[in-house]
Order: sequence, then C-alpha cells, then structure tokens
Amino acid sequence: MAAMGPGSDSETRLEEGNPLTPRQALVLVEDERDRVTRSLQVNVAAILSAWGVAWLVGFGLAYFASTRHPAVSWLVAGPVIGVLSLAAAVTSFGQPIRRARGIEGASRQVTIMYMLAWPLAFGALAVLNAGLAHEGMPQRLMSLVWSASAAVTVGVLYLGIGALHRDRISYGLGAWMLVTGSASVFAGHPGNFAVLSLAGGGGFLIAAAPYAWGRRRAAR
Amino acid sequence: MTAPHTLPVLDPVIHAQPRLRVTVALAALPADDKITFPRLQELAGMTAGNLATHLRKLEDAGYITVTKAYRRRTPVTYIALTRAGRRALEDYTAALRDLLAVPGSADETDAASGASPRDAEPSPGQPDEPPGEPTDAARLTDRRP
Repeated sequence: MAAMGPGSDSETRLEEGNPLTPRQALVLVEDERDRVTRSLQVNVAAILSAWGVAWLVGFGLAYFASTRHPAVSWLVAGPVIGVLSLAAAVTSFGQPIRRARGIEGASRQVTIMYMLAWPLAFGALAVLNAGLAHEGMPQRLMSLVWSASAAVTVGVLYLGIGALHRDRISYGLGAWMLVTGSASVFAGHPGNFAVLSLAGGGGFLIAAAPYAWGRRRAAR
Repeated sequence: MTAPHTLPVLDPVIHAQPRLRVTVALAALPADDKITFPRLQELAGMTAGNLATHLRKLEDAGYITVTKAYRRRTPVTYIALTRAGRRALEDYTAALRDLLAVPGSADETDAASGASPRDAEPSPGQPDEPPGEPTDAARLTDRRP
C-alpha cells in the first residue's frame, strides 16, 4: 500500500498495515465470493425436501385414510398434512424473503412476483374446485380433480422457476409433476393419493439430492 | 493482459483487505441490484465505522454509488457496484492470476511491493487498460498526501 502514501490517514494505516500478497488476495477473493454467494442463495435442497416429505407422508396418510378399511383416521391424517404443508410453505417463503433482506433491484421484484404466483394460482384453483363442488361434482371425483390439478399447478410453477433460472433440475421436476398429476387421475380414488405420495413426494426428494450435493461440495 | 516482462499492476483502491471484501460482496449481488448499509455490513462482516471509511474510498474512485432514500420516513443508505467497479475487480483478479503465473513474482513480498511503485504513475504503467475508470481511480488515489 505504499502507493497510498505513508500516513495518508491513521485508519488506513491500521487497516492496511499488512499488505496482501497476490496469493492471499486471490484466496480472499475466492473465499469471500463463495461465502457471500452461499449466504445469498436460497437452500433449494431444504425447500424440495420439505415438500418431498409433506407429499410422501401427507398423500400417504390420505391414501391410508381413504381405503375401504382405513388404517388411519382423518382426525390424525388431517392435522399432520396441515402441519407438514405449513412447515414446507414456511421454508419455501421464509428463505427467499430472508435472503433478499436489504437488497433492492430487479432480483427482488422477480422474487416477489414469483412468490405471489403461488397463492394466486392456488387461490384460483380453490375457487375452481369450490365451483365444481357447488355444481354437484361427486366427492370421489372431487378428490381426483383437486389433487391432480394441484400437482399440475405445482408442475407449471416449477417449469416457470426452472426457465427463469435456466435450472434444468427444477424444470425437469416441473415436467415430472405434470406427468404425475395427470397420471394420478387414472389410478382412481384412493389410488391417486398413492401415486402422488410415491411419484410426487419421491420426485421432490430425488430432485433435492443434486442441490444438497452441490451445496455440500461448495461448502468444502 | 500484460506485455512480456511486465508485472501486472494491482489496483491500490481494491488491493486492501477491507475494500476487497466489500467489492467482492457487492459483485456477488445480481448486476443492477443495490444493498442497504446494514445488510452489506453483515455480508462483509465489518463494523459500521470501518465500512463507512472504506465505502468513501471506493466511492471516490467511482467504483460504487451511494444513494440515500427514505423508506417509511427512515433514512436508508443503498450501495451499488458501478460498472467501473465490477470491471476493476475483474481486472484486479486477472492481474493477481497473472502475477501468480509469473515464476518468482508470486514470492510473498516481491509482487506486492513490485506492484506498488507502478501504481504511483497514472497511465503508462497500464498497457492494456483503455483510458477510463481504472486510470482515473489511480489518479484519484495518488492525489493523497
């Protein structure tokens, strides 16, 4: 820091008493870049795992509560499904909000608009299904339509985030959820729940693996 | 980046741990985003006073912009990396790699001190730099007593 001139000011001298060697500087640049990038990145593995568990257990319980001789009561299944979905939603929405704290610009707008897309889409879906029920759609069909349309909506939203970030895993998961959701209808009730539990929940968990792997490698 | 037998120049504005830390943190944000002072403080892991001091130097060099706004009647300070700042960090990193690639030049003290005298002269020491920000930055720094 000789270029700064000796004694430019006392604070500078204090800070820059030991000039960095090029090697130290390069290590600092790379370490800092990794550290900051990681603290700004959303933990996708955590979000996908939370939804994977919610779908696997939630639709699993829904299946066992809906068989001819129910192995689980809806009184148990209902609250468990609610808690697991809530936990997954908190993970999904809490993370991006925390990471975007204090940062303004295009990225913040994208995050807000995309996050809003979820309640908008599911709000519309709830109205649509309430309308079908109002028009007298039988309970058995309601269960097929509601769960399949929810899975397809999830699929479309993952296609969107995949396209936005050029992220093939999220895009692939979106496509997989379209297949799972639409195919679940052909399994009938309550088989549709088993399909959504295994293929849907399993899909989330499998998609979470490469993110978890990438994160661990970056942390090393 | 450098002509043969010429050691690359390390930008004195960035070549100091605290300012390097801040610049790298700002460069990790998406381009065109700005960050509040407290969040930057948290990301860079620096005290408020220390951060303010170094932000002033980066602002003087034209590497960052500091804007003040009011949100719900509370003053908020936003910091953003300028294009010149982003380029300066890229050039700096490239210069480091060049230095480390030259046998012997990476030697602990040699390279750092070898770069310094050249920093004192504004432009001729920087063969590849088109006239512009980095040179201005160097001149600004040289104005110090």
